[in-house]
Amino acid sequence: MHIPDGYLSPAWCIALYIVTISYGVIAWRKARHVINSETVTALSVLAAGIFVAMMFNWPIPGGTSLHFVGGALAGILFGPWLAFFAYVMVLTTQAIVFHDGGITTLGANIFNMGIVDVLVGYAIYRIVSRALGGTRKARVIGAFLGGWLGLAAAGTVAGIEIGLSPSFPYAVRITVPAMAFWHTLLGIVEGVITAFVVDYLYEKQSPLVQVALKLSSKTYT
Amino acid sequence: MSLFTRYKGTLKILALLIIISPLFGIILAEKVNYHEPIDVAAEKLHLHELDIYHTPFSDYEVPGLPPTIGYIIAGFIGIAVILGIGALAAKRMSK
Repeated sequence: MHIPDGYLSPAWCIALYIVTISYGVIAWRKARHVINSETVTALSVLAAGIFVAMMFNWPIPGGTSLHFVGGALAGILFGPWLAFFAYVMVLTTQAIVFHDGGITTLGANIFNMGIVDVLVGYAIYRIVSRALGGTRKARVIGAFLGGWLGLAAAGTVAGIEIGLSPSFPYAVRITVPAMAFWHTLLGIVEGVITAFVVDYLYEKQSPLVQVALKLSSKTYT
Repeated sequence: MSLFTRYKGTLKILALLIIISPLFGIILAEKVNYHEPIDVAAEKLHLHELDIYHTPFSDYEVPGLPPTIGYIIAGFIGIAVILGIGALAAKRMSK
């Protein structure tokens, strides 16, 4: 999922940096009133958890596989505005310290995982869990669908970005089906993990959930 | 309440996960020839990664250490960086 340097044209890199920074400004304005030391600490713990989860590759025979991305999980817990900042921390650390994802493509990677995955996952979770009555079962089903389809959307968008590079005419016909198919298929694993982790955190009343519930009562989302 | 007091349980779980992470990130990944969908797309387009900067811990390796041990150390470095940034920002917020 991490796009390395060299896969996107300069125009795409610049455009996605601009979009991501603009979203960041909006996210800051929307969430500013709930950002305090408690929120920042909780976000950094969430970011550390996402970082560790991304180190777990799913070993599927045949080889084409993924690791956990967690956009829906972050969105479900903290909403799309604060979740964005967790991804800025994770993806910047991965790019600068571990060369996982490029520097020129950092804007694109934050856009795909910290905006598209988070927004789609969060929206689906909200719609499904409310439609099913807000019960524990509804929460689990919503988290599963949010995790699954959020990742499928992020992978598809990454395929569009790579495929629309001017250096490769018609490449989008190759990249979008490949990325969409595999992320939709493998996203099922992401959905299962998201559902399990959300259910575990809420049932255990994890400190992360306690902070998240306090924030949601301030209706910042 | 401090980071290490409030999130003690979560941090313990993360530490445990980092210790077992090479099983999935290195050993089983090598066994199944792990590659991501983006690698499939890149191969079809003959895309190549540009090496425009260098970090000592590229690909979660630590120079001089076996990949599995390096992966674990890299994991701890990663969460130390993230939690460190968080702690600095939180300290600034509380002023």
